[in-house]
Amino acid sequence: MEVSSVMNSSEEQGRPAEPPVTGTGILGSAISRAAGFFAFWLALTDANSGDLAAGLAAAVAATWASLRLMPAEQWNLNPVKLARFTLHFLRQSIVAGTDVALRALDPRLSLRPGYVVYQAQLPPGTKRNAFCAVMSLLPGTLPCGSAEGNGLTIHCLDVAAPVVEQLAAEEALFLRTFGGAQRND
Amino acid sequence: MNLALDIFTVSAVSAGALFFLAGTVGLLRFPDSLTRLHALTKVDNLGLGLVVLGLLPQTNGLFGALKLVSIWLLVQLSGAIVTQLIAGTVRRRGSNG
Repeated sequence: MEVSSVMNSSEEQGRPAEPPVTGTGILGSAISRAAGFFAFWLALTDANSGDLAAGLAAAVAATWASLRLMPAEQWNLNPVKLARFTLHFLRQSIVAGTDVALRALDPRLSLRPGYVVYQAQLPPGTKRNAFCAVMSLLPGTLPCGSAEGNGLTIHCLDVAAPVVEQLAAEEALFLRTFGGAQRND
Repeated sequence: MNLALDIFTVSAVSAGALFFLAGTVGLLRFPDSLTRLHALTKVDNLGLGLVVLGLLPQTNGLFGALKLVSIWLLVQLSGAIVTQLIAGTVRRRGSNG
């Protein structure tokens, strides 16, 4: 979730109802992204008043670049769901780190590495990239490129583990939190 | 109160250092590039998280804390993305080194 935290604050105004991204949606994104960048600048400079002008210019430039590189998109965020996802993600980070640490320190080095193909529900795009970033920090999984169809090739530390089921559960939670794929079903 | 915070800092930072050590052991022991990537990203992310968490009570106010948390978020973000790029390259080349 941390991956998308930059966008979280930025897309909150982009509520649904209107079709994909309207002019006001883009303006809303621009304003909230600029506010986020400026807040980051304040944190970095301890809100030193001598640096405010440079910070404003940097925030404008960063917003321009971010809109070019990552166009405004609907994220429909709900703070409660987001908090729940964050907690879940932190718990999974602890599980993931402990899991790998124990495997590394285990004298028998219990690894059964291999590839698994996971059919993602999310279509290619920013959200799927965000999900891949989350996945790379989950226990035992590491996305390494796309596969046939809408598949993702996942490298796992233990192919005997129910990797596909775990990923399906993670993706379902991701979809519930960030609003989903534009599926036509 | 200060003593309690100091004890918290020492324990959390030590726990973080232990995870970094385990990650390094994994980097040396794991058999190929992809398994080594698992060791680096996951363990270092948790280790750095614990170090940041432990240092939070020692910061000089809100801005110091925000800076520390930003460091952790940026490392997480770059780790999550760079790992996938390296993993994709390794898979395409089929190298096992």
